Amino acid sequence: MKILVIEDEIKTAKFLQKGLVEAGFVVDVALDGLDGLHMAQELEIDLLVLDIMLPGMDGWQILTRLRKAGRNSPVLVLTARDAVAERVQGFEFGADDYLVKPFAFSELLARVRSLLRRGSPRTQEIIRLADLEIDVLRQRATRAGRRLDLTAKEFLLLSLLARRTGEVLSRTLIAESVWDMNFDSDTNVVDVNVRRLRSKVDEPFPFKLIHTVRGAGYVLECEQ
Amino acid sequence: MFWNANSDTALQSRFWGSLAFRLTAGYAFAGLLLFFCASASLYLVLVTELDRSTELFLGDKLNVLRTMLRERPDDWDALREEIELESAARRYQQFYIRLLDDHGTPLLTTPGMEESLDLAEVARHTQGQGGPVLLKGRQGRSLRVTAASIPVGSSLTKNDTILVAVDISQQEQLLARYRQWFWTILVATFAIFPMVGYQVARHGIRPLEEMATTMQHIRSTNLRERILPEGYPSELASLAGPFNEMLDRLEESFERISRFSADIAHDLRTPVNNIRGEAEVALARARTVEEYRDVLDSCLEEAVRLSDLISDLLFLARAESPLTHLRRESVDVGQLLCGVRDYYEVSAAEGGVTFSTAVPAQPVIAELDRTLLQRAVGNLVSNALTHTPAGGSIVLETCAEPSAIRIAVSDTGVGIPPEALPKVFDRFFRVDTSRSQASGGTGLGLAIVQSIMLLHGGKVEIASQPGRGTKVTLRMPTAA
Repeated sequence: MKILVIEDEIKTAKFLQKGLVEAGFVVDVALDGLDGLHMAQELEIDLLVLDIMLPGMDGWQILTRLRKAGRNSPVLVLTARDAVAERVQGFEFGADDYLVKPFAFSELLARVRSLLRRGSPRTQEIIRLADLEIDVLRQRATRAGRRLDLTAKEFLLLSLLARRTGEVLSRTLIAESVWDMNFDSDTNVVDVNVRRLRSKVDEPFPFKLIHTVRGAGYVLECEQ
Repeated sequence: MFWNANSDTALQSRFWGSLAFRLTAGYAFAGLLLFFCASASLYLVLVTELDRSTELFLGDKLNVLRTMLRERPDDWDALREEIELESAARRYQQFYIRLLDDHGTPLLTTPGMEESLDLAEVARHTQGQGGPVLLKGRQGRSLRVTAASIPVGSSLTKNDTILVAVDISQQEQLLARYRQWFWTILVATFAIFPMVGYQVARHGIRPLEEMATTMQHIRSTNLRERILPEGYPSELASLAGPFNEMLDRLEESFERISRFSADIAHDLRTPVNNIRGEAEVALARARTVEEYRDVLDSCLEEAVRLSDLISDLLFLARAESPLTHLRRESVDVGQLLCGVRDYYEVSAAEGGVTFSTAVPAQPVIAELDRTLLQRAVGNLVSNALTHTPAGGSIVLETCAEPSAIRIAVSDTGVGIPPEALPKVFDRFFRVDTSRSQASGGTGLGLAIVQSIMLLHGGKVEIASQPGRGTKVTLRMPTAA
């Protein structure tokens, strides 16, 4: 999968490239608007990460030109402003998703993955990871053949992590998906809930599946 | 000239924009109108009075002749004296009399009458006329003429006809002079009134200009300056009051903003200092991978704290912008509170705190911004959890009032000292300053709650007893 990052702030561009490459993507970087537009038109890319405030040509202009030229690859817009009006404008210009600086890299990675996945939604009724098995329809989870006694919210949390195995999910995203809490404050509530879940899913078993990624969030994966 | 129509209107609007111009125009117009009306009505009165005196004069003459013809019809000497001599002797307001018998033959005529008047025309015009008629004489003079048929002696059969004409050209000259003076004075007033009016207007406006000069000198650096109401007319002195009050409010806002900026700087400084110091120390000598990892983790935590602080600050800044719109939707408040309880339930249980909701059976529904309300209630619950020791309890309740909804969060926590209570909604205010940074809060939670309430047109109240607990009440109008 090839991603083009158009971002003029060198440090940001560098860590985006590094992080995305390590996540398994092929990444090209353009440091100004004109180069960026040129590369976006010439290269075959699967996704564009686009900063709005750029020298040469701003992100909205690039987006408009690309959409006019019939380029339909998904675009994730980065901006330092988060006025709602600007967000709406972004979607009108044809952006697929929107991220406000400062953002967690894990958040960006999750959104990149979900944008790339958008074409082929994965609907599984039963999710398996190592000895963990989750039956989404019947709301049952078992590990090593033993039924896990989970509350409704704990089950939701576990299936969210399982559906996105290997992805670091931020506390904000978890609060949003499980409790429908759409504000990012007091996220240690998520920690408490994850701790509870762990005590049921991981503690009685020899190896752990739920891992904390400091400063970023949680991930469900089998490290063996 | 249509191409400079724009500049014409611009000029016009500039003049109309000037108060002095408007007042001047008003004074001048009123003065001219008054002068015109007064002079015109006096002129009309004069015309009527002159006409009346002429009519009286004619009527008088007819009366004298009528009496003479009735009482002494054969006294020709007396008649001749009356008709030929008396009028011929006059220089001013000359009059002419002609006496005709019942066959139309002239018996006596004032000398000069035939030269002044076309008698045939007179006869034609006076035929069947009751009152006097106005005629033009041969020399261009205006005359008033009246005719009457008068019985001679005591016989009822014999009637003589008398024509009396009076020269009114002097009256007309008088009126002409009057009109001439009228127009001359009108033109003069046309020039004088605006000048006088302008002076009066300027004089009236001068205190206003002085006040404006004082206002112009007020900058953000000298907001302490005030306008002293003394020495101004009472109308302007009353303007000074509200203006000074506005300055009071501005000064207060400025002070608050500068205090706020200082607070922001302080609160940003701590995490930045941590990141900088930790990185510096870590790089000072070679370390193990584990040590590097710890430093990076710690830096990341500080960065996350900075991000949270920035997003809270941005939220507050946006909430204060008049352009902020709420995304109102129909919200079942009871359901929303239960959602919040679900979210914090596990945390409460871990802290040994009983957490319950008291929601009426009848759903409480209002048009609100769901996300913002969630955030406000979430902040309050989070505060309550932080300050309520194990064994305590937190209650979330809501009820509908006639035109408002009420949400209350009460706890049995440590409470807030009375002297701190008025300040808890201030930004960065913390009751216990020593534990501020460690507890992880930004000190903006209650400020955010308050601005969310203000956005909804509602308000927030707090009541607390140290050692007994705190109750925060949100009240919002149901109608947007």
